[in-house]
Amino acid sequence: MNVSRRHFLKYCLGSAATLGLSSSLLGNLDKVLATGGGPPIIWLAAANCTGCTVSLANRIAIDHPTDAADLLISNVNLAYHPNLMGAAGSLAVQNALKVEQSGPFVLAVEGGIPTAFGGRCCYVWREKGVDMTAMQVVTRLAPKAAAVLSIGTCASFGGMSGAAPNPTAIQSVQALTGVSTINIPGCPAHPDWIVGTIAKLLTGATVSKDSYGRPTDFFGSTVHSNCPRNGTPWATNFAQEGLCLRDKGCKGPNTYSDCPGRKWNGGVNWCVGANALCIGCTESGFPDRFSPFFTSAGAVPLGHTAGPQTTSCSACHTQSQLP
Amino acid sequence: MPSVITVMDPVTRIEGHMKVEVTINQVNGVTQVVDAKCTGTLFRGFEKILTGRDPEDAVYITERICGVCPVSHGMAATLATEAAAGMTAPTNGRIIRNLVLGSNYIQSHLLHFYLLAAVDYVKAPNSAPWTPAWNPTDVTNGQGLDFRSDPTLDAVAGHIPTAVELRRTAHQMGAIFGGKLPAPANFLAGGSSSVPNSSRISAFRSYLAVLQQFINNVYIPDVEAVANIYSDYKQIGVGSGNLLSYGVFDLDNAGTTKLLSRGTYRSGSVRTLDLSRITEQVAYSWYSGSTARPPASGVTTPVDPDTKTNAYSWLKAPRYNNLPYEAGPLARMKVSNKYTGGISVIDRHLARAYEAKVVADAMSGWLTQLQQNLTGKVYNTYTSPTSGNGIGLTEAPRGALGHWVSIANGNISNYQIITPTCWNASPQDASNVKGPMEQALIGTPIDDSNRPIEVLRVIHSFDPCLSCAVHVMRPEGKPVVIRADACR
Repeated sequence: MNVSRRHFLKYCLGSAATLGLSSSLLGNLDKVLATGGGPPIIWLAAANCTGCTVSLANRIAIDHPTDAADLLISNVNLAYHPNLMGAAGSLAVQNALKVEQSGPFVLAVEGGIPTAFGGRCCYVWREKGVDMTAMQVVTRLAPKAAAVLSIGTCASFGGMSGAAPNPTAIQSVQALTGVSTINIPGCPAHPDWIVGTIAKLLTGATVSKDSYGRPTDFFGSTVHSNCPRNGTPWATNFAQEGLCLRDKGCKGPNTYSDCPGRKWNGGVNWCVGANALCIGCTESGFPDRFSPFFTSAGAVPLGHTAGPQTTSCSACHTQSQLP
Repeated sequence: MPSVITVMDPVTRIEGHMKVEVTINQVNGVTQVVDAKCTGTLFRGFEKILTGRDPEDAVYITERICGVCPVSHGMAATLATEAAAGMTAPTNGRIIRNLVLGSNYIQSHLLHFYLLAAVDYVKAPNSAPWTPAWNPTDVTNGQGLDFRSDPTLDAVAGHIPTAVELRRTAHQMGAIFGGKLPAPANFLAGGSSSVPNSSRISAFRSYLAVLQQFINNVYIPDVEAVANIYSDYKQIGVGSGNLLSYGVFDLDNAGTTKLLSRGTYRSGSVRTLDLSRITEQVAYSWYSGSTARPPASGVTTPVDPDTKTNAYSWLKAPRYNNLPYEAGPLARMKVSNKYTGGISVIDRHLARAYEAKVVADAMSGWLTQLQQNLTGKVYNTYTSPTSGNGIGLTEAPRGALGHWVSIANGNISNYQIITPTCWNASPQDASNVKGPMEQALIGTPIDDSNRPIEVLRVIHSFDPCLSCAVHVMRPEGKPVVIRADACR
């Protein structure tokens, strides 16, 4: 796809802020895309559900990109992706191996890494007649990569695939390889979080991370602190419009993400917008730390004791001091 | 010619991890597939993860089994846990769940044809992520791949970018009530958390109108064009010839009537589905046990592959009446008397496209029903029973999906899932009868055994989803003789 410089800048200026990009980085991005999309990305599917890829596809726009995120994901050099690429079998694998040898490349891993059965409950591809496990390939590629992205909560922290009793002994990419990863959790991960982080990497800027390895651009504050329902009366049942779901088990007080402002599916809606709980899907320890979901497990804000003591957060806090 | 074993790993453009091994030989002068084995390459153990948990959590957990059909798992889990509690969702909750499920049907069918299957037949756009790709005219053994040249096929390729956009539009539509997609937030045991209002219905309708126009004017004609130009594929990939549908899109709260019916199709006639005839066999799967078990009392006890050397899959073999049955849009449409064609590669694609229209048109009617009853209940308060059993039967875009839940002491004591790809990609059973996809592959004529594009056409027609196949696992295996492991 050819996009004129004028169009590129139009898209970028319209969306740079939502991707966490300063205007000074845009020039770098422009140069990178002009020279062929920057370092190639090898995207591996480990013990995944393909949900993060489907979520990413909610950003793929071929004909008429409306912002820089669309544009980037359509132009980025995706050298290997098992679901999206046209090639299959050895042509697909050869492409990845070529990139591995020539470098530099970015490694993106979707899904946790099973270590049970010697890793043999998840194969990713066949190399020179030998079936290679996710454990083998991730262990080999991660130290060679210019950056390693753990896409989704499974790759970042173990997530749903590593939930108790962790039947396949799932490990996160960082725990398995010892390589410091950039973690982009979420079940699924939001496409803006993926694309925005890749954009920053392409510009050469440093991605600032919290203590869980998450980009602070997207995971800097709790869902509850930015929730439009913070301070409204607590809902007493489901399907009640506009009410705070803290007393129904909402994990927003202990979950870091920018969902309330960013929303999902092009800004159409988000979990709490559908009167549903935040279930803590961007957090280390998801789901076990928050399960049973419809109880106070993992839902109680710091400094509070379990159980309802009142009927809304604003009963105890002034508007400016809401938790 | 000597028999050639071809291994494709990875099979791309499916959802999840899959390996296919076919043996190719000459029979009566025709080079063709003479044996086939389908193997998934991932095991996660969701049934074990669910055991001991709160029944209400099953919805959100099972939605994470598959990122392509999470809504169907959410639907099956709500139905199963509601049945165990002896309750149902209220009318508006049922309709809203149908609307979110319908949105995902449309996105999945568009995704399947244009992103996963079309480039088996047409030349893909020359841009990421369709590059690199085999050049159809590449010659490795004196002949090119069987890609046919026709202006209508070029037009199909030209529609791929728009379809990519509209797939995303379908997810935006579903998020109006779902909260987000994939993995919707609004599905609850007891109904839906989201509620209708006029502006949401109107926004939903705007998205739907665009999608209906594309389905009617582009998607269906495109599939018909491929069907005409590759009409020989109406004789290829027949498979077991048996079809099974649980039915989907409940039209009343008890689920008695459905938009797409429950039933089976065998030997030219539609029959009533008798759930007691469903069993899972493990004769060629790496599980212990020798008896065919009904799913409600199913067990999942893996054994060391080295101790069960005749087995070749971690997929169990679901059977109905001890026979393999194919699941999917073709099964639904045949059982519902909405499709009169046969059973083949092309019939699967046609039925899927026609089904998209049936679902989209019905969704328009459901929006009208919501508009006429805006204040109706969406949620009946759910109380988990201390003990009980429930079955949740629905249909994922790619076929019959069942959840069987048992509750003891207020928690899940057993949870068994049979996914559509377990039906379709199952291994042999105790009677040495192969699964539907394996049967469909056998007999497929092959032009170039180095690049058997025909094999991919048969596999993709089933829209396999190996993320879904929770039993699937790949053992350590010694590589067989490999002639080639690549195709388009």
